[in-house]
Amino acid sequence: MSDTIAILNDTTRCTGCEKCVAACKEEYELGRDRPWRAQGAVSDLSSTRYTTIVRRPDEHYVRQQCRHCLEPACVSACLVGAMQKTPEGPVVYDADRCMGCRYCLAACPYGIPRYEWDQRVPYVTKCTMCIERVRRGDIPACVDACPEEATMFGTRAELLAEAHRRIDENPGKYQPRVFGEHEIGGTSVLYISDIPLDFLAWKPDLGTQPLPERTWAALHKVPPLMLGMGGLMTGIYWVVGRRMKLASEAAIELETAASDIQAPAAEAESGEGST
Amino acid sequence: MNKRLLILKTVLWGLVGVLAVVTVARFVNGLGAVTNLSDGAPWGLWIGFDIMGGVALAAGGFVIAAAVYIFGLERYRPFVRPAILTAFLGYIAVAVGLLYDLGVPWHIWHPVRYWQYHSVLFEVAACVMLYLTVLALEFAPVVLEHPRFDKPLFGKVLSGLKRVTIPLVIGGIVLSTLHQSSLGSLFLITPYRLHPLWYSPIMYVLFFISAIALGLMMVTLESLLAAFFLNHKVHKKLLSGLGLAAAAVLGVYVTLRVGDLAIRGVLTTYLDGSWPSMLFVSELAISAIIPAALLLIKPVRSSIAGLALCAALTVSGMVMYRLDVAIVAFARPEELTYFPSWMEFAVSIGIVATFILIFIFFVENFRVYDDVEKAADGPKRSYDPATMHALLPRRLALPRRFSLAAIAAAAVAVVFLPQEAITGVVPASTPVAASRTVDGLPVNREGGGGGRKLQLIEARNGVPEGMPFLMIDGNRNGYPVLFDHKAHEARLENDRSCGVCHHISRPFDRNTACFECHRDMYEPMSTFNHASHVEQLEGNAGCIQCHENTAVEKSAETAVACGECHADLVSPLSFVEAPDDRWQAAVGYMEAMHGLCVSCHETKLAEDPENLPAALDRCDTCHDADRPIELQRMAPHVIASRERGGGG
Repeated sequence: MSDTIAILNDTTRCTGCEKCVAACKEEYELGRDRPWRAQGAVSDLSSTRYTTIVRRPDEHYVRQQCRHCLEPACVSACLVGAMQKTPEGPVVYDADRCMGCRYCLAACPYGIPRYEWDQRVPYVTKCTMCIERVRRGDIPACVDACPEEATMFGTRAELLAEAHRRIDENPGKYQPRVFGEHEIGGTSVLYISDIPLDFLAWKPDLGTQPLPERTWAALHKVPPLMLGMGGLMTGIYWVVGRRMKLASEAAIELETAASDIQAPAAEAESGEGST
Repeated sequence: MNKRLLILKTVLWGLVGVLAVVTVARFVNGLGAVTNLSDGAPWGLWIGFDIMGGVALAAGGFVIAAAVYIFGLERYRPFVRPAILTAFLGYIAVAVGLLYDLGVPWHIWHPVRYWQYHSVLFEVAACVMLYLTVLALEFAPVVLEHPRFDKPLFGKVLSGLKRVTIPLVIGGIVLSTLHQSSLGSLFLITPYRLHPLWYSPIMYVLFFISAIALGLMMVTLESLLAAFFLNHKVHKKLLSGLGLAAAAVLGVYVTLRVGDLAIRGVLTTYLDGSWPSMLFVSELAISAIIPAALLLIKPVRSSIAGLALCAALTVSGMVMYRLDVAIVAFARPEELTYFPSWMEFAVSIGIVATFILIFIFFVENFRVYDDVEKAADGPKRSYDPATMHALLPRRLALPRRFSLAAIAAAAVAVVFLPQEAITGVVPASTPVAASRTVDGLPVNREGGGGGRKLQLIEARNGVPEGMPFLMIDGNRNGYPVLFDHKAHEARLENDRSCGVCHHISRPFDRNTACFECHRDMYEPMSTFNHASHVEQLEGNAGCIQCHENTAVEKSAETAVACGECHADLVSPLSFVEAPDDRWQAAVGYMEAMHGLCVSCHETKLAEDPENLPAALDRCDTCHDADRPIELQRMAPHVIASRERGGGG
């Protein structure tokens, strides 16, 4: 995983100019934002905004984008493989496969994937870390556009080293951790910041366990459960069936035996003989 | 047909009519047009009720099949056929509900093509598809028994199916176990969104066990409803047996659910009187504790009223459990509330109504219930002297009544359709208000960059004399841009240069304000007022003045351009170019402001970088960072298009 491509966002350098957003919009021809009734603010992530700047009090600007988790919840959730983890690291989306169940929207701990709610045939949208550009040897459009070097592109190992170097050099300036280094198994988009960035996720403390593992804990029981349940039911059927058969045979035997014994006796007594 | 059934069917047909209307809106205009779903609430009523609730409600099929075929409890055989039919129709209803909910419904078969063993949803999909097949095979004999299928071929199929009953039942039990539990596993991946009182590592166990209890009570409820509406026999003794079994299963469910929460320490932390904890307690009470306690009392479970109450409680409570997990206790962004639109309810209820009608059809035409008591009201069915029905052939009277109900309900539904359901989703409009004159004070900017910033004077106490500024805040969001109009006038040297900024003046107007054409914050719009032109050009006689070419269809494209008549409309000094020759479109307010102000600042700075402050083209020159001004949005597409223009 060390050569996974990654992005490092240094929020202390971001001035909130949104040139990254502009570059992203141009790269993917997203056009004007289409605010609609269910959208909080027009500057939220949306199907026309793969990345945006979240404004926090006291002039803090935090870029929000897909974290490209090392073990992505959306990929593990998708039942048709429309969300895919590329060998290079970014998580990409294949609209041709998508059936539109929106499990990825529910599963993402960072609330990244967005849906084209205003379209007649909606698809999921998200940041792809400009995988096509990277494959051409270019760098992501947002990183390219940043005038303040607040967002950097490189391999994850390099950027982690750089992040730790910056934190170590300015101990008082930064929060003493690289956001995304360990959370839910690590993410490819890393942050160093002077304010806590918990607001980017659904809950402050995500822990280090990758989310797909939680599913797998239940899913790996499926084959044994299948065989076990099948076996159990067959067994019960056989046992119950056999006992009923034996019981009925015994009843018949009893009856015939009783009738044999009682045959010479008076027929009137046969009703009581069954007890 | 008895009166109750007639009323029931009429109501159900009405609901089907409403469903038809919403169906059209849903599939023509998309999910966004008819639902209240959004990025923050991606799953709503259709997933919570139609899918999760629907699968759980159909659990009676495998529970009864297991009891009768596997455990040899032959006395429950009268429930087998109704339970299998309910399950079969229930799962088809789930599939139909899914078609409504999926964004790309024609990809519903994709799980078959792209296997994803790591996805819980894939497992659910695979099991549901297989189980639907199993249920079809289990139910097929009921259809094939019908005299119409009395052919040798069908006979062979029938005997073949009967021979594989046991493997089918076992397969059905296995598949049901897997997907009933997996519906709980679906939420294992959302520990951060599902409330801790519902999230549990053993959710799949809870879902499975609650499905068994729900299945038992659903069979009970259905049996009572069939007695009420269809005059079938109530097997009171058997139902009380089911009730006792359900009480036991509910006991296990409550023990596991509460025990798990207690052991993990969640109960003490979160049972604090907040609304989720109240919801949790009431859900548990309705779904399990109250019915289980009642069912343990013998007189209650031996009486029809008691059974009906308990069954209704469990069924609604367990559906509530599914809804809580999928919707209510599932975190959303703070400012977002989700409540289903009436159309979402209409689809959920309409699908149920449709399948109840299909259920009744099967009951009336096939041997679903073993008892034959319903034959008792046979002769009365065809004649009703009090109504028109007597004059019409019976076969026509009922379809007329039902189609009338459906069409009337559909008509009412059409009236209530919101705008978006008819036209499709339109972006929200943000009307723009005029800028205002306020008193303010220019002060020198601290730090580098030079230049001045503007400051509002809080109170007009007379001490320093303020000067008028324009406060530009078209959307009135409390984050205005202060604009020193006088200084700009001075900088542009004389009055005649108004046209640099006021690039278009409407007729009889010297300096049209921005908001008069750029009337929406973000959306471009037409500036052309057709009605006023019709009036000015004296009605229909004037058409030809603009629509000169009578050989083509009248449209904005084929009409005379605005400039042909209003040559003086656009200022020769204008800094911006009109969007096209026809000038009918104005960009959004924000795009216009940025386009005009920022372009000009950048041009000026490029012309004279020595004397002008370097900060002139920066955002915070206008969106002054020293005041609590939040850049709501900076039109990235404007920046992009400008850079594209500058580069090329």
